[in-house]
Amino acid sequence: MFGLEAIAHNNGWTIAATGAGIVFAGLSALSFVISQLHKLVALLDRPPKTIVEVVVEETKPIWMPPDCPNDIQVAITLYHPLIEELPSEFELAELYGLAKKYHLPHPHLSIRCLRDAGKLEFLGDGLFRYVA
Amino acid sequence: MDLILQFLHNTGFYLADYRNLIMIVVGSFFVYLAIHKNYEPLLLLPIGFGVILGNIPFFKGFGIGIYEANSVLHYLYFGVTSGVYPSIIFLGLGAMTDFSFLLANPKLMLLGAAAQMGIFFTYLCALGLGFTAPEASSIGIIGGADGPTSIFLTAKLAPHLIGPIAIAAYSYMALIPIIQPPIMLLLTSREERLIRMPEMREVSRKEIIIFPVVGMILCTFLAPASIPLLGPFFFGNILKESGVVDRLANTARTAIIDTATILVGLTVGASTQGDVFLNPKSVGIFLLGAVAFSIATASGILFGKFMNLFLKEKINPLLGAAGVSAVPGSAREVHMMGQREDRTNFLLMHAVACNSSGVIGSAVCAGILWSFLIG
Repeated sequence: MFGLEAIAHNNGWTIAATGAGIVFAGLSALSFVISQLHKLVALLDRPPKTIVEVVVEETKPIWMPPDCPNDIQVAITLYHPLIEELPSEFELAELYGLAKKYHLPHPHLSIRCLRDAGKLEFLGDGLFRYVA
Repeated sequence: MDLILQFLHNTGFYLADYRNLIMIVVGSFFVYLAIHKNYEPLLLLPIGFGVILGNIPFFKGFGIGIYEANSVLHYLYFGVTSGVYPSIIFLGLGAMTDFSFLLANPKLMLLGAAAQMGIFFTYLCALGLGFTAPEASSIGIIGGADGPTSIFLTAKLAPHLIGPIAIAAYSYMALIPIIQPPIMLLLTSREERLIRMPEMREVSRKEIIIFPVVGMILCTFLAPASIPLLGPFFFGNILKESGVVDRLANTARTAIIDTATILVGLTVGASTQGDVFLNPKSVGIFLLGAVAFSIATASGILFGKFMNLFLKEKINPLLGAAGVSAVPGSAREVHMMGQREDRTNFLLMHAVACNSSGVIGSAVCAGILWSFLIG
C-alpha cells in the first residue's frame, strides 16, 4: 500500500497531527514554566517576615543645662545681697555655698553668668571681687 | 595443498562480495571526511572505521560477525539494540549542557518545538512510500538530527533498520555544514539575518538547579516513554549544576559519554554489512533522512519568522535552524551564518538555547511515537 491510502490506513494524519500538537504544547508549557521560574525563585529568596518587637524605652528626662538667666539684672539682684554677706574678696565656692543655703535657682549657672558678664572679677589665687 | 586451498577459501579475498567492497569504500570515505575534512570526527571516525570493520568478509558460523550470536561484536552491539548506549550518551549530554541560555530566553524553546515538525512530515512521507508505521516513525526521527534518539527509537520499533537509520542520522549530523546553510539563505532575507538578539539576563543558580527537576517531571509526565532518554539527560544536568558532585559530572561528560560514543559508533558502523545494508530500503531511508533534516531546519526557520509577526523584540530567524538537536553543530552553523552577514553579531549562545530545546523536543517526539505504536 502506498501514497495517501497508506497514510490513512496507518492513522498517519492523526498520529502526525496529535504528535506535533503534543510536542508543541509540551514545550510551550515548559517554556512558560521556565519563564516564571525566576519569579518563583525570587519568592523563595524573599526574607521571612519577622515580627520586630519595638521596645519603646521610657524616655528618661535628659538633664539639660538651663539657659543663663535671660536677664543678668535679675541675677545681680538675687546675688548682690549674698555678695554683701561675704568679704570684699571671696572665693566662688563661698558664694555658691550661700546660694545653695538660700535655695536660689541654678546657682552654678548664675555665678558663671555673673562672671561672663564681668560682674565677678578674678584677682588670682582663687579670689574674686564684685564689680558694681 | 588442500589445507592451503581451504585456508584460501576462508580468507576475505575469496569471500569478498561486491557489496562489502562498496561499503568498505563508503567507510573509507567517512574516515577521510572525519580526518581530512574534520566533519564531526567524533562520530564519523568510529562509524567509518566500524563500516570497514563490519564489511570484512568472513566465514559465517564462527561467531565473528555482529549479527552472529556469541560474537564479541554482537555483545557490544547489544548496547545499541537494547537502547542502553543512547541512554548513557544522554547522561553525558546532560552533564555537558548549559541550560542558562534557554532559561534566560524561554521563548527560544518554541523554535526547538517547531524544528520537530520535520519528524512528523517525514513520518507521513515514509508511510506514503510504503514503509510500515514503526519503520516510518524510526525514519521520521532522523529529522530530530539526534543520533542517540534515532538509535533508541529504531531499536524499539524497527530493530532491523538500526544500521541504515543510525548511519543516516549521524551522516546528516556530520553534513550540517553542507545541508543547513543553503536552506538558511533560501528562507531568510539579509535584513532578517542581521537581526541582533538582545542581551541575555543573568540566570540565578537556583533556577539552573530547579530546571532539570521541573523539566524532567513535565516532559516525562507528558511522554513517559521518553524516560530512558530524558531521565539520564536531566540527571546528568543536575549532576553538573548542583556543584556538589563534580567528580560524577566530570566522569559523565568525559569518560562515560566518550566510551558510549566509541562503542555506539563502532558497532553501528559494523552493523552495515553490505549484504544486509545495501538494499532499496536503505536508499529510501537515506533519501527520507535528507528530507527530514531539511524540513526540520526549514520549519524551525519559518516558525522563527512567524514568531516575529507577533514579537515586539524580533528574533533572528536563523536560530530556528538550531532547533534541530544536532549539538553543537547546528548552533555553530547558525552563528557562522550570522557572522557572515555581520561580524559583530553573536548568535552562538542563543543558538545553543535552541539546540538544547531541540534535544528535549526530539526525545519527547521519540517518546510520543513509541507510545502511539506500542499500543
